[in-house]
Amino acid sequence: MANKSGNAYALTVLCPILRGVPSDSPAGNSGQTYTALLRNVLQTLHVNEESPMAKVPNTYLCRFWVLSDVPYQGKPAFLEHLKSDYLVFSSNFHGELEPYLAGMWKALQEDVLAILWHCVGHEAVRDAKSFIEYVKKCQVTTTFFFNGSTDEPLVEQLKNLYLKQEFSRFAFENQGKSASELQEAFRGFVQRTQPTNLDGPTWAPGAYHLDRVEGASK
Amino acid sequence: MTTRVDLDDVQGNVVKAYARYGLVVARYVFFHVDVPVAGRKFVADIVPLVTLGTPWKDLSKTPRVGTNIGFTYEGLRHLDTPEVTLHGFPEAFSMGMKARREIIGDTGPSLYHRWDPVWNNQDDNKQHVHIMVTIDGKEEKDLDSRYQEIQRILAANPGVSQLVGHRGAGGDNLPYQPAAALLSTKDNLGYPGGKEHFGYSDGITTTFFEGCGEDPNLVIGGGKPTGGDPRTPAGWAPLAAGEFILGHPDEAFEYPEAPGPPLFSRNGTFIAYRKLHQNVGSFHSYLDEEGARFPDGKEALAAKFAGRWRNGAPLVSFPTEESANRFVAELAPLQVKVWTQSATPQEKTRFAELSLQLVAFDYRDDTSGARCPFGSHMRRTNPRSALQFGKTNAFAVPGALSNRRRILRRGLPYGQVDDPTRDDGDHGVIMLIVNADLSRQFEFVQQQWMNYGNDFGLANDPDPLLGNHGTNEGRLGGGRMTIEGDVVTNKPPYFCNHMPTFVETRGGDYFFVPSLTCLRTIALGIIDPT
Repeated sequence: MANKSGNAYALTVLCPILRGVPSDSPAGNSGQTYTALLRNVLQTLHVNEESPMAKVPNTYLCRFWVLSDVPYQGKPAFLEHLKSDYLVFSSNFHGELEPYLAGMWKALQEDVLAILWHCVGHEAVRDAKSFIEYVKKCQVTTTFFFNGSTDEPLVEQLKNLYLKQEFSRFAFENQGKSASELQEAFRGFVQRTQPTNLDGPTWAPGAYHLDRVEGASK
Repeated sequence: MTTRVDLDDVQGNVVKAYARYGLVVARYVFFHVDVPVAGRKFVADIVPLVTLGTPWKDLSKTPRVGTNIGFTYEGLRHLDTPEVTLHGFPEAFSMGMKARREIIGDTGPSLYHRWDPVWNNQDDNKQHVHIMVTIDGKEEKDLDSRYQEIQRILAANPGVSQLVGHRGAGGDNLPYQPAAALLSTKDNLGYPGGKEHFGYSDGITTTFFEGCGEDPNLVIGGGKPTGGDPRTPAGWAPLAAGEFILGHPDEAFEYPEAPGPPLFSRNGTFIAYRKLHQNVGSFHSYLDEEGARFPDGKEALAAKFAGRWRNGAPLVSFPTEESANRFVAELAPLQVKVWTQSATPQEKTRFAELSLQLVAFDYRDDTSGARCPFGSHMRRTNPRSALQFGKTNAFAVPGALSNRRRILRRGLPYGQVDDPTRDDGDHGVIMLIVNADLSRQFEFVQQQWMNYGNDFGLANDPDPLLGNHGTNEGRLGGGRMTIEGDVVTNKPPYFCNHMPTFVETRGGDYFFVPSLTCLRTIALGIIDPT
């Protein structure tokens, strides 16, 4: 089935980028095209846990990039060109499209507007509803994707990951203890890691190392 | 059709593990070519000494000394090899071992700054070692007489210089790298006295390929798995010759990548020469301390690191120390008799049965790693059919993920351990790794299987023995190993933590080891790539 695999949704959006050079270029960037300006915005976004997308609930993995053209595959393929440059937004997330986009608008509307400023028809985007409409107009069907995630909501997966790492550390630190010592240590482990509490301590969205997770043992 | 290899054109060290024929001492000598024409003359003078791959059928007539030669990329350039031919070499070879350090894990304690002086010149990344001549002999006097012959050749060719700067018992500036088997009188399996400095019997399995000319029985455990009974020849088939010798079809039914003209590369191969220092003090202290906690004791822990007991018995067939000791107690004296040609026919038969058990196994009855851990050195570096993880017919062939990652192991230990409580001193193993594709075979094994664990479901845990566990601080490093438990006997898993780096690289490079035909064209300067 297109776009979905289990509870995972693969969103692909192609927004046409405005042609030419804006008359109201940001300071210091005069003469640069919308495409060049957008690239600069995207390439200077923070990454990992600092990424703005880390604030968007249920994002498994996502990426923004500029697609300037399609590559030529060589004869006997036709040499083809795109009609414009496109902003591509590709996101794998948990759940349905509209609530996800509403969550994205709520968390990031300033960043979203700063990015879409370079795209055709961005003036129509004013609120969550118009943002969802805009994205749906630009959506292309994702026919094939690799879902590298389990089927759980992100908060559960992040807690799983955190517990797995912490438990591995627990095993290394407590091996060889007597049953009662082990039980006591395990009680401490449970108290500290709070396995049923999804709010924390847990793996931060976008974090790539346990040392960067708040509350994790060092 | 079976591949036929012209063994008279292949160098002897490619197809033969010399130590198995009693050539148990060696000198590795390195040269720099200042004047190309002199370098070619030097090669021409060495060629008559080069040992061929021709099978040694009559063991009473094996030569007392073997000599082989190889060239670095810069070495070939300094011998007037045409530019077009040089550019046909794969990137791994032309870059050289030092420049490939991030791939193969020669970083931290193995970084080239700590290598023997011979491997470092002022321009750190430029190869100044051009030619490697290896001399293997039965005794020191055999080596010395061949070495003196080569010294006379060197004296006659003043445009070639011998490079000094090997660390050893005599200081930091030895003119060659000496090596010698560690002779042990008990449980000496593999080849006579085949021990290394941590006390393991080494060199037991020998990789077997089509047309290699060695004893066909060595296919058992040495070839590629067929899915049949691993205790019988039906369980194994020879690997394709092209995995080890250029100009022959490989396991993908293609010729391995090699420079033109075909005459230049056919019957040649590549050798990665590595001087690997062993931190015996760290090894013993870690083994003593962790072994005191490990429920089955120190020797069992040593066995879990390697996949074999230190006496050589494979864990998968001999899960207890007692069974391993019983096995080797019967095997070792028989081997002495066979090697000294004093065995009766019955003893020979029994020896053959027993020695088969050293190699004739796979991991199909140990899919949980309860006997031989997934992370043990042997199971990582030669997984046999284990990467199917217990599934039958997971792939078109059982060794689909490992048949193209095989190597031939050559070389010998070097140095003596005077004080087993210390890491310093100069002792370890000289490894010569033979393969047709340095990147696909040696470097892959080094990067993915030695210094990473994902293929075995072990996250980023490196090989316990040969992995780079970082710089040791107070005899502790960053290594860890999971020793799987056993659900049948309800034995819990065991975790080794803070493992120090036991083995460090102290030098080496990649060498092209040409055919005899190629050596002659190099000598004559008539390589024609057009």
